[in-house]
Order: sequence, then C-alpha cells, then structure tokens
Amino acid sequence: MGRRKKCIAMLLAGGQGSRLGALTKDIAKPAVSFGGKYRIIDFSLSNCANSGIDTVGVLTQYRPFELNSYVGDGEAWDFSSVDGGVYILPPYETQTGGKWYKGTADAIYRNLDFLRKFNADYVLILSGDHLYRMNYNDMLKNHIKKGAVATISVMEVLWEEASRFGILSTDEEGRVTKFAEKPKKPESNLASMGIYIFNTDVLIDKLIEDADDEESSHDFGKNIIPKLLKENEYVNAYRFDGFWKDVGTIESYYETNMQLLKEKPEFSMIDEKFPIMSNSNIYPVQYIGNTATLENCIINNGCKVYGRIRNSIIGNGCVIKEGAYIEDSLILPDTVIEEDVKIVRSIIGEHTLVRQGARIGLREGEITVIGNNETIKKGSVKP
Amino acid sequence: MKEVIGLITANYGTNDMQRLSDERSIASMPFGGRYRLIDFSLSNMINSGITAVGLITPYKFRSLLDHIGTGSAWMLDRKKGGLYILPGTTYGMSDKSDRFLLCDMRQNDVYFHRTNAEYVLVTSANIVCNMDYTPLIEAHTESGADITMVTKIAERSNKYIKKVSVEDGRVTGVKAGVERGELAFLDSFIIRRELLIQFMEWYSVKEYMDIFDILRKDYKRMDIRTWNFDGYVREIFSVRDYYNTNMELLDMDINGTLFNEQMPIRTKVQDCVPAHVYPEAKVKNSLISSGCLIRGEVENSILFRGVTIEKGAVIRDSIIMQSSVIKSGAIVKNAVIDRNNLIGSDMVIKGSDEDIYVMLKEQRKAKKMG
Repeated sequence: MGRRKKCIAMLLAGGQGSRLGALTKDIAKPAVSFGGKYRIIDFSLSNCANSGIDTVGVLTQYRPFELNSYVGDGEAWDFSSVDGGVYILPPYETQTGGKWYKGTADAIYRNLDFLRKFNADYVLILSGDHLYRMNYNDMLKNHIKKGAVATISVMEVLWEEASRFGILSTDEEGRVTKFAEKPKKPESNLASMGIYIFNTDVLIDKLIEDADDEESSHDFGKNIIPKLLKENEYVNAYRFDGFWKDVGTIESYYETNMQLLKEKPEFSMIDEKFPIMSNSNIYPVQYIGNTATLENCIINNGCKVYGRIRNSIIGNGCVIKEGAYIEDSLILPDTVIEEDVKIVRSIIGEHTLVRQGARIGLREGEITVIGNNETIKKGSVKP
Repeated sequence: MKEVIGLITANYGTNDMQRLSDERSIASMPFGGRYRLIDFSLSNMINSGITAVGLITPYKFRSLLDHIGTGSAWMLDRKKGGLYILPGTTYGMSDKSDRFLLCDMRQNDVYFHRTNAEYVLVTSANIVCNMDYTPLIEAHTESGADITMVTKIAERSNKYIKKVSVEDGRVTGVKAGVERGELAFLDSFIIRRELLIQFMEWYSVKEYMDIFDILRKDYKRMDIRTWNFDGYVREIFSVRDYYNTNMELLDMDINGTLFNEQMPIRTKVQDCVPAHVYPEAKVKNSLISSGCLIRGEVENSILFRGVTIEKGAVIRDSIIMQSSVIKSGAIVKNAVIDRNNLIGSDMVIKGSDEDIYVMLKEQRKAKKMG
C-alpha cells in the first residue's frame, strides 16, 4: 500500500428511490439516467474525482446489476489508481449469517474492514442519488480548520419545504447546536444535504457503539449525528450555496432534467473545470435527417432523428422515426419511437419501444411515465 | 484459429491533402464527427479477435499517439499482447505514399521475433471500412498461401491504389494505379510471420521500397492469393477523398454498415455534454456531435465535437472540425474547416463541388469555450 490517504469516500448507493416509481422498478436510483447520457451517480463520482479523492467505496443493495456494471472499476471517472480506485461493497455473508444493510450507518459499520484497510484521516460519507457539483476538498479544509469531529454539509431551503429535511440550528461559528430529522415545526431552514465528513477514529467508535444499540435505526441523520451532539462533540455545519437537488420525485426529476433546455440553466452540464464524467457505451455521431424538425432539443450520442421534437431531451442511442412528434418530454437512452407516435409531457424509460401511432401523455396534470424495457403497442393511448 | 498478430502502418502521406496533414498523419485525420481514420483499422483488428497490434508511427506522430494513448479505448492495454508502438523510419518525412515500407518493419523486427503467432495481418491506416478479418484469416490458413491480399473491384480510378493482376487464382503482378473495374488492392494482407521475417533478410538492400514493389519479380515464384471484400470501403489519399467519404456518412445505409452495434468502431472517449439545438436553429441531414451548440442553420454537413454555430450563421455541405466557432451571419459552403477556427460575423467562405475550400487548423483562433 502506498502513502496514507487523507480522505476516502463512502458512497451510499443502495437506495431504491421508490417515489420514482417505474423508473426504479428494475434499477437503483443512482443508476437512473439523467440528461440523456448521465446517470445520477455520475455527479457524486465526478465530484470525488474533481476533488482529488481517489478511493471510493460504493455501497450497493437494491437492484445492483445495472449500477455495478456501470461503475465497473471506476476508470470512466479516472479512478484507476495504483493504491485506490472504486470498490463495490455489497452486503455479504459472515460465519453467523448475512443480513441486508439496515440503515446508512449500518452499511458503513459492516464495512469497517474497508475503512481500516485504507486508514485515511477522514471519511466522506455521500449519497449516490443527489445532483450537484461540489468540491469536497473545500468542505474538508473547513472541517480541519474548525477542528470538528464531524462536518455536515448544509444549505438553506424554502421554509415551507424545511420539514422534508434534516434541519440544523447553528451558533455564530457554524457549530451545530440542534439537529431535527424532518421536524413538523422547523426552527431553522438550514437543511442537511446528507454529506458528512468524519474523523475516521471517531466514526469507527461511534459506529461500533451504534451497532450495539438495539434501539437505534442505524441511520446517520437519526442516530449518529444526534448522539455526537448529545455527547457535546464539535459537529460543524459547512454551508453550500450552489445547486443541489435530491431528485426524489418524478416532478423534481422531470424539472431538473428539463431546466437543462433553458438558455441559461440553473444547473448546467457545461463546465470544463469541473466536468461531469460518465461511462457511456460506444455510439456513433448523432444524425439529424431531412424530415426532422428540432426546436430546442438536447440530442445525445448515437441518436437518429427523423421526426419533430420540441423542447425535449433525447437520450443516447434513441431513434425518433418520421412523423413522430415529441414535446416537453424526456426520452431515456436506447429507446425507439416509431412513426406517427405523439408524446407530450412524458418520461419514456430506457430500451423501450413505442410502436406506430401510440399516444402518450397529457398537456396538463401529472407527468406520464413509461418504465424501462417496455413495449407500447401500436396505436395505444397512455394518458 | 491460429494465432494472428496485427500490424498497422501509418508512416506515409500524400501531397493531395492540401496541408490538412501537415501537422498530423493521414492516420490521425479527424473523421465523421468524432473519429480519426485509424479507428477503423484498430477497431477491425479488435473486432476480429486480434489482441496484439503493432503500430508503425508516422514521422509526425504527436496527434496520433495523443489519440491512441495506451490503447485502452480498443482494450489494448493488456498484459498479453496489447498495443506496440513501433517507431517509423524517416522515410515518412517526405510525402511518400508507400504504405508497406520494408525498412519500417525491419527497424522494428523485434516485434515479429518476440511472438509465437503464426501469421501477421497487415493493414494501412487510411481505410474507411468495417471489415471482419476472420474469413480472411480462415481463407488464408486453409489455402496455405504465402500471402493473401484483400481486394475489391475498383469503383473509380485512383493513382494511389494498387492494381492486382490474377491468373488462375494466383496473383501475378501488382502495380501502382488502378482504373475503374480493375481489381484493387485494399492495402490489407495476411502473411506467415516466418515469411515476413525472411523478406526482411532477403530484400534488405531494397528496404526503402514498399514490400509489394520489392516482390515485383518474384510474384510468379510465390503463392499469393486474393480475398475479396464486398462491403463498403474507401481509402483516403486526398482532400477530395476525405470530403466525399465524410459526406457519404450522411447516407444512413452507408452509415449503418460502418457503424453497427455488433462490430463497433471504437475511438478515444471524451466526455462531452450532449448537443443542444436551440429554438432558432435549423438542422437538416447532418451529423452533429456532442458538445455542439447550434443556433444557426446547418444542412448536409458534419459538425465535430464542441462546434458552436451562432444564430443566423449558415453551414451547407461542409465539415467543421472540433471546437470551431461560426459567428452569426457567417456563411460556410463546400468547405472543410479544421480545428479551433473562428469564422467571424458575416464572413463568407465558399468552395464549390469541384473545389472544396480548406481552412487549416487555428488560422483564426477560436476562443476556448468556457
């Protein structure tokens, strides 16, 4: 093993993302497609790579196949390193039997071997299902400067939404004085982003204590952080004011994708200094045919477009045939839209086939979602 | 299947590229929006199960090696076999168009000695085709010929392509220049490794020549056969070839035979954001690569990665290479615009069908996109 590492990351990627419904029927939320070419986990992996963190444990659980094969050895995010890299950490059997990860803290606890093997000074705990660009190094510097044992990344949220988050109160220095998980009457609008830095020794001790606590639900927000506060340890809040989104619902997933089509998106993929990397298949160049009409579209690698598309995102490798009409929609990778299909305000999953003349979506009301690997019959109507 | 190692030769050039290949070899000419010409030979080798590939580098090798790196895009960064960079001789300095110089091979004879492979499959690096070499390898091993050359009836005349004469299934002669309807050598062949090593010894005094010129008097004494390829194939030797072959990619039948999922043409991966076609844009019959931002009019054209077409600009029948910016009101027709160029507002650049306008790399430098 090479030099001792300053900080390694543990990326929690086992979540189902049940509110994304059809989109997470067969894949974990971090593997859900974004912007037509990315997958949600690209953002946290790219953040690590762009922050100089070269060792990442990816904790998987729900429907891991797509995610595991996508992440691979992490080469796509430049994680090929002599003594680091990406490690997939699934739940495992022991001599006394095996169990699923019971909570976020339990998932890390069950991989203490991994933390001990690398024995870095600090551990960064991340969630694999958030969209944001963040330099974790700045957060780590802040953690070290404050001399805290744990630092939580926080941001201001709208007061009316505060009760959906873990809400913190801080003193003038930014030291956390109170933490409430999804409070009914929030005392502050500073929300935890689910990003933590811990001193490794403290984290290991706390995880062992927590594992022995039968009352605990083994969760960072519900158990580990409150315990540190109760013991009067220095828990620091690190303020982040960039774009951050937990695309937990179909609406927020749809909106965050569609804002990419704006002239100046709030969250843009274009940033040469902080690129979002992805592990894409090999596709030829996008072809726009003679019969195609495009009005404000994002077109990804390998697309062949012959139809009319307005204000939509077309994922890698899609084919949009002649006479098809797509408006305000998101077509995920490798999907074929046949002739004379009409799609409005919809999300069409990956590897899906929409046969001739089908009608999908409504101009008002809820977004229509078609899952991955579906076939929509000829002429059928899916409002 | 007997073990086969690959050899790709890239140490040659022509005077017909209108200086597009001044700073780069033909092998590393950008092609089809995101590829470079060598991607075809490399991918064909990999797709045919060849996992050791020697690359004879051109005199100007920077852009080629930058593109190929460790060969990981073609899965050639491996323990057994992999990519071997074989430095070419200085003969490639001049625009010598001979593809198979014996001296280039002799200089790297170690590559042929340090293997147990029975055969060497040799190909040049300016061939646009999607070719499965396995039937060629099978035909060659079955016949027991000394050399099997890949051939095809020429669709047009070309002074750079060699004509092959065949009698009773045996090659009796090879000479420069092919006319339409004659049998053309597609610059790919398979040879027994031991025989290639013998050539290097026997013909060492003529090593400055192309293997097929050296063999001129010996054809009748040897067993040289042909294997016909009936798929789409083009070789690039001139701006005309380059322009036409790029434009043929807009024919989706041709495009589909070159780029298919079973035998993918691989290239260096670059993480580019998707292409954005804005509301004021108009795009017809064009290839638009990732990273393109299009607000103008684009028709019958090929845009490489990261090209910006501003509102009101018109691009027709043109090839715009990576990171170029076409400002509003500019008109570009029948042109090849090399990398990193800025075409200013209201500038008009017009070539014609017969005479393609060529703008060399960074003539008017485009500011790097933020």
